[in-house]
Amino acid sequence: MSIFNGKIDESTLIVGCGRLGASLANIFSEKEENVLIIDNSKDSFRKLSPSFTGLTIVGNAIDFNVLKEAQIDKVTTIICVTDNDSTNIMTAQIAKSMYHVENVIIRLYDPERACTYQDMGFETILPAILSTAEITKRLDKKRGIL
Amino acid sequence: MKKKVVLVGGYQKTYALAKSLRTKGYEITIINLNYQHCIEFAQIEDIHILHGDGTRPYILDDAGIYDFDLAIALTRRDDDNLVICELCKKKFNVKRTVALVNDPEKVDFFYKMGIDSVVCSITTVTNLIEQQALMDQMSSIFELNGGKVKITQLAIPKTAPVVNKKLWELNLPQEVVIGCILRGDTNIVPRGDVRIHEGDILVMIASDQQQALAVKELTGK
Repeated sequence: MSIFNGKIDESTLIVGCGRLGASLANIFSEKEENVLIIDNSKDSFRKLSPSFTGLTIVGNAIDFNVLKEAQIDKVTTIICVTDNDSTNIMTAQIAKSMYHVENVIIRLYDPERACTYQDMGFETILPAILSTAEITKRLDKKRGIL
Repeated sequence: MKKKVVLVGGYQKTYALAKSLRTKGYEITIINLNYQHCIEFAQIEDIHILHGDGTRPYILDDAGIYDFDLAIALTRRDDDNLVICELCKKKFNVKRTVALVNDPEKVDFFYKMGIDSVVCSITTVTNLIEQQALMDQMSSIFELNGGKVKITQLAIPKTAPVVNKKLWELNLPQEVVIGCILRGDTNIVPRGDVRIHEGDILVMIASDQQQALAVKELTGK
């Protein structure tokens, strides 16, 4: 049985069903795109909206069998947003080097780790850096008005 | 100058490894997240210990591991071990990295990611157990070149056709060499005129294709 029967345009695999993972999954699902989400705890999937139409898989994303079950060879985008940087990094490297997934985006809590992975072909999102930029921007704006 | 090695994570393996490497003259730094374990490591003399998460660059920085000779990642998590080795290599210019993996399927992937040496505890231990358990039969000790060359040890039973024959009398295939004969407590580096005794253990280096043929020739099975 193929999960992606019919339109094979875009399919997204989200790793980690925390607040960020779940909200991304809900958005993709609303847009009627193919979406799969992996988390190692079944309870995490409660964060998904009741109208979520994608697939949920319980398992550890660095386990090759779980990734195969998620049909990693067929997805076009992988977003790794677990709460563990190492898991995100390793999943991204598996996706890029073994399955040549087109778009790989990962979230890293620790910005120091990011520079090591710049030439790996995947994109890193650094909440600490983004928040810093946003906070200083807003403060500058307020102080500018004052 | 002493070679410098950093051991990240792990408990019993780290402890044993640190002791052993110290006697071999390495300068050892241990990074461990478990404070209790750190205290126990402190019983070993002359080693540096840092309590912290070895997957964090600033901890590795604090440990001063720049240009170390060797980094060994021994945590329980495969992903952490990968990240530790990659950080050591790329950010801190450590010359050689060794990672412990739990999942045998990940060994190739780790090598592909540039880890110099990948040790899978499960395959290593199961291989050893097999060797010990199946001593009466042939046991594979070591595979080289992706399994194309195998070093195996082979016990010679009483009924084997080669008992009391000299090595040069054997009709061994071309790609097979007897590298060593283990007889009781002694090791014999074999020459053509060495006789094979019952109960000898032959250490055989063979190509994978001719191995079975050689075993048949030696044991008659």
